[in-house]
Amino acid sequence: MGKVVSLDNLLASMEARRADAAPWLGSLLDESRVNFASAGLPNRRVEAWRYSDLAKALHESVPASTDAMAPPELPGAAIVAFENGVLDESSSTYAGLGAQSLRQVLGEASSPYAEIIGKIYPQADHPILSLNTALMEEGIVLRVPAGVKLAAPLHLRFNWTGDAADDGRHLRVLILLEEGAEATIFESHDGAPSFSTIVSEFSIGAKAKLTHVRLENLGASARQTAATLADLGAESFYRGFYFSQGGHFARHEALVKLAGEECEAQIDAAYMVADKRHCDNTTVFNHAVPNTRSKQAFRGVLSGMGRGVYQGCVKVAPQAQKTDARQMSRAMLLSHRAEIVTKPELEIYADDVKCSHGATAGELDAAALFFLRARGIPEVEARAILVEAFLAEAMDTIADETLRNVALASAQAWLSRHAGEVSHVE
Amino acid sequence: MLEINDLHVKVGEKEILKGLNLKVPAGEVHAIMGPNGAGKSTTSYTLAGRAGYDVTSGSINFGGEEIIGLSPEERAAKGIFLAFQYPIEIPGVSTLNFLKTAINAQARLRGEKELDAAQFLRLVRATAKELNVSEDMLKRPLNVGFSGGEKKRNETLQMALLKPKLCILDEMDSGLDIDALKLVSEGVNKLRSPERSFLVITHYQRLLDYIVPDVIHILSGGKIVLSGDKTLALQLEQNGYDAVINKAA
Repeated sequence: MGKVVSLDNLLASMEARRADAAPWLGSLLDESRVNFASAGLPNRRVEAWRYSDLAKALHESVPASTDAMAPPELPGAAIVAFENGVLDESSSTYAGLGAQSLRQVLGEASSPYAEIIGKIYPQADHPILSLNTALMEEGIVLRVPAGVKLAAPLHLRFNWTGDAADDGRHLRVLILLEEGAEATIFESHDGAPSFSTIVSEFSIGAKAKLTHVRLENLGASARQTAATLADLGAESFYRGFYFSQGGHFARHEALVKLAGEECEAQIDAAYMVADKRHCDNTTVFNHAVPNTRSKQAFRGVLSGMGRGVYQGCVKVAPQAQKTDARQMSRAMLLSHRAEIVTKPELEIYADDVKCSHGATAGELDAAALFFLRARGIPEVEARAILVEAFLAEAMDTIADETLRNVALASAQAWLSRHAGEVSHVE
Repeated sequence: MLEINDLHVKVGEKEILKGLNLKVPAGEVHAIMGPNGAGKSTTSYTLAGRAGYDVTSGSINFGGEEIIGLSPEERAAKGIFLAFQYPIEIPGVSTLNFLKTAINAQARLRGEKELDAAQFLRLVRATAKELNVSEDMLKRPLNVGFSGGEKKRNETLQMALLKPKLCILDEMDSGLDIDALKLVSEGVNKLRSPERSFLVITHYQRLLDYIVPDVIHILSGGKIVLSGDKTLALQLEQNGYDAVINKAA
């Protein structure tokens, strides 16, 4: 059962957490608690949360879903396993990579991460980041030294099978890629957390390259809001691929600062939202210096009473000339009761830039459907082909074949589970 | 093969076909010509079973069977093939995959054995070569980035692979220059056989220089107003639709 989460409980937990914290963490936790207390849980009166009212979702009592899927397996990957928000050492195989559990890092009397954690791309006005920082306990910290290329992907496996604490679980991932380092992070989210926040901080050094594939296959009662914060150094590259099928409340934000010249960030995403699920994809790309590039393409399929939200914000600082930023959102609505909210925002303060955005929302293409049927392909199959083809354009952007197949399997599982909705319009 | 009797078809509230009669025996090539708005495309879509083309009365007998009420896929499996005026681009579906799905879907609907991957590839490669369809086109997403000529060649390839009994060519010459038109027509001519009929729908006489019909019908105001041999096309070319139709009336 997803329980009601109250502000008072959260603040009380923060107090308790602060009392036990190592001295080097004290001021960070204090700041975060104060910031969170003044902002409160975000609701629809806050513009960034207008279409995703977290406070309301947390005031609802949600029957636990029974549609949990087993986490995907990624052959050859080192695993960091979180069961119900707690690091499960016995199922984890990350030791060889030099990663450390967050609990261990936070427990030390002094830390090399004191000036890093919570400070890679600070956002004092972001209530969820403040909440997560003030309550973070579990998580993982990985530093990849200069020039090192991780041979195997790191699989962050978040799996939720049981009841969590009243005030939820708040996990933190910290990944530091030093100059020229390369790594692949694969995140999987399965099951139905009662309430979880997951914040990942990525520091991507000069000439470093991070491939980040995240698959959210949460259950219908899941309430989760996650954020990926990335700071990109000169000539670095962040390559993201996101798949999500939403939840009772599921949101992911990519907050990316293009902070070094000639760096690039590219995100492709696919989301499939059925029943009464809610799926929010929010991005904020902050082009802070000249000569940086960003590209994002989000594709959604919505059925039943599914609700998708895409908010894409591109900021270009006055000095960030020669910025090249592209944004595209496409949504396919399979039911008349499904909904997509698309909100592009461009804040451009430099004059020599290329910025584009486009958004479409529509039904399955009737002409394409007739074409396939006129060739003898039955309607049910033809519809599935068109929906899969629509998403395949996103999936095909995953360069690694193993990762691509894992992502495709998630999409196909959704399609077969919702074959009835895909095959006819309500 | 095909016998249409007193066919009335509405699109939305508007009646487009108003008593169409047409008979196409096996092995023959019939052309339907007509001015814009005569009902040419409506005829082809109605035969293929597109939603939104409502038959209000009349009959369409194909191979001894009434097909009104059958879905597009059932008609395809019975041997009706519509070559589209503007073949649809479908990003995300490879041409090869589409061909295999279509061939095997029709086999299933007819209760025949499906092709395995090796049989299919052999068949496609051999047929594609004969019809000037490159290996590269087969690998690309369906019709995406194809030139007008490539799209029509791809339609001809589908026709060859699906082995229909009746091919409806809807304005096959749209978007083609003379060279492409010749190439596509050659492909179509290779598929002519005593068991296969063609219904060539066109606005211009030009196409009929390359695909020579046995009979030409002139469609106007939703019905056939005149039928004749191939010389009818030349009369149209010289005198225009109005003169020929008025004379017939």
